[in-house]
Amino acid sequence: MENLGYSPDQKMSPNLKLASKSKVKELRKYTAALLLLAPLLLFILAFFVVPMLYVFYLSFIEVEGLDISNASYSIGNYLTFFSDSYFLRSLWMTMKVSIYAVIIALILGYPIALTMAKSSAKVRGYLTLLVASPLLISVVVRNFGWYLLLVPNGVVDQFLMKLGIIDSPLKLLFSVEGVVIGLANSFLPFMVLSIATSLYNIDPSLEKASSILGASPLKTFLTVTLPLSLPGVVAGIVLVFSMSMSSYVTPALMGGANVPVLPIVIYEQINTLFRWTFGSAISYILLGVTLISVTIFSRIFERKFKEVFR
Amino acid sequence: MTTSDVTIRGVSKKFGTNVVLQNINLDIKHGELLTLLGPSGCGKTTTLNAIAGFLDPDEGELYIKGKKVNGVPPYKRDLGMVFQTYSLFPHMTVHENLVFGLKLRKIKKGELDSRISRALALVKLTGLEKRYPRELSGGQRQRVAIARALVVEPELLLLDEPLSNLDAKLRHELRAEIKRLQKEVGVTTIFVTHDQEEALSMSDRIVVMNQGKIEQIGTPTDIYQNPQSEFVFQFIGKSNRFEGVVIEADADHTDVEITEGWVVKTKKQNAIGNDRAFHVGDAVNLYIRPEAISIMSDDHGHSGADSEHVRQKAVIKQMNYLGSQWEIEVSVKGQYNVQIVGPTIENSWQVGTEVLVEWKTSDIRLTKR
Repeated sequence: MENLGYSPDQKMSPNLKLASKSKVKELRKYTAALLLLAPLLLFILAFFVVPMLYVFYLSFIEVEGLDISNASYSIGNYLTFFSDSYFLRSLWMTMKVSIYAVIIALILGYPIALTMAKSSAKVRGYLTLLVASPLLISVVVRNFGWYLLLVPNGVVDQFLMKLGIIDSPLKLLFSVEGVVIGLANSFLPFMVLSIATSLYNIDPSLEKASSILGASPLKTFLTVTLPLSLPGVVAGIVLVFSMSMSSYVTPALMGGANVPVLPIVIYEQINTLFRWTFGSAISYILLGVTLISVTIFSRIFERKFKEVFR
Repeated sequence: MTTSDVTIRGVSKKFGTNVVLQNINLDIKHGELLTLLGPSGCGKTTTLNAIAGFLDPDEGELYIKGKKVNGVPPYKRDLGMVFQTYSLFPHMTVHENLVFGLKLRKIKKGELDSRISRALALVKLTGLEKRYPRELSGGQRQRVAIARALVVEPELLLLDEPLSNLDAKLRHELRAEIKRLQKEVGVTTIFVTHDQEEALSMSDRIVVMNQGKIEQIGTPTDIYQNPQSEFVFQFIGKSNRFEGVVIEADADHTDVEITEGWVVKTKKQNAIGNDRAFHVGDAVNLYIRPEAISIMSDDHGHSGADSEHVRQKAVIKQMNYLGSQWEIEVSVKGQYNVQIVGPTIENSWQVGTEVLVEWKTSDIRLTKR
């Protein structure tokens, strides 16, 4: 009998062998990768994932006062937060301060990033170092510097008053403005470097093409450079916003009691009032709000400028 | 100045201490396709960038359609340009890419649409208006780039090595297409390339450049057949070189001894280069193109030279079949390897076969060494 047709057992067996062989190979490859990553993964598991899960667990324990004998599992902590206007105001304050910091960092950062992108490699290196310099100084030292500059009747006030621009001290310290200045200064490098990376990736001949087609430098910037740098802008905004939302040292030093942002409230709840479980719940609320805002924001942008984000 | 679309007068440019353009003078006629050809760093791209307005010459004047354009920015020059990397705006569709230049020229809606559909038909891309550049192949992208440059109906079309990123087959196709388009539209075109085949096949005239200077301007046949300098001869096409010494020279004739017992008689018109006065004892180079040499079986006749031909015995060292022709390397007098290109061979030939090689003395080019 002639067998020209498809014969399963004849054809399948070598294929199967081959498949299992390649599977073994693949498994080996993954094992090697996994072994290499193991120390890091274990570290993250032990010192990040486990504590985070524990804090999440704590946030669902409701305690009356300091007596843990009447503890119960509930979402009471979350309800307390959302029913108390003090905490809601604090949340809004945190968001406001972060948004202002983002705006300042963006306005100051974009021109710097653009300058870096247009510079020679050598100048670019110096500028990068200059831009990254805030990261080289301890956050406490840096904020103390601002503290001395902004303190009532300090350097800034006296300078502006001598020039006759203002009549009385600005009261920048212990105010929202002070915190925003501190945060923008701290996180400016992240904004600049994100945008610059995006700008470096733009083919310089695109700007030439735009120019030869008749677009002035401003028109070229608005229609070619700016849209194509949006991925970097969005990344910068997301970074600066999230880091501002979770900042503790800067608001504590620059805002004090006048700017009670959520991280300060969490610290108070846990370290001063010993309400660990309530503090845990606020931590997760802060995390949730940050994640949701960042997600919504980047989704909107990515949808609006679909082609740029590909 | 009224007859040429572009006039370049005494243009020089330095980058630091590096002289990239030296006293360039060039007139580009209306409607012609002119190629700037040369090795990398010869100044061809710098010349194009000066015409485009991306850099200003240090010295000299540049005129486009009789108007001096020194210091005029690119966006006010009304040119079309196609780049090596296509340079389509990645965040815009094909249609938006084409609209870009038209909107800046404030073209009205009706004309805008008809111009775009005409431009796309010209490059055979009708129907792809809504595609993004990343959804197109390399050849299609370059066609869109050409359409984008032409749709604004520019004074000049500048092409900066537009084919170098494409594979060989596409390059051939687009080469013919650009030539056809250019004649159809009639736009004065300046084409920059380092590929001599591209230059020879597409251009009305070729400007050969080397080290910031113009070596020769001429039609493709002119450049290939009557190179005015050693550089042009060597850069365009392949060539065999023999070193020799002048043993006899008068006003019309120069006799060169290549080796003992091998003397080649040349005439005045064989000489190329700046210094064409030869004296006895001068060291010279003799050049002959591979396709100017014929090869035949040893039994074809006597060995030796008459005044019109050089004829030598040779031994085949290598034979490469290239499909349309053969590339044969022979050894003459046991010490000169000579490349020959020809359409046919005899079946009996193989490596080691003794043959005769022959070329006309009029095909020889002679320069001082």
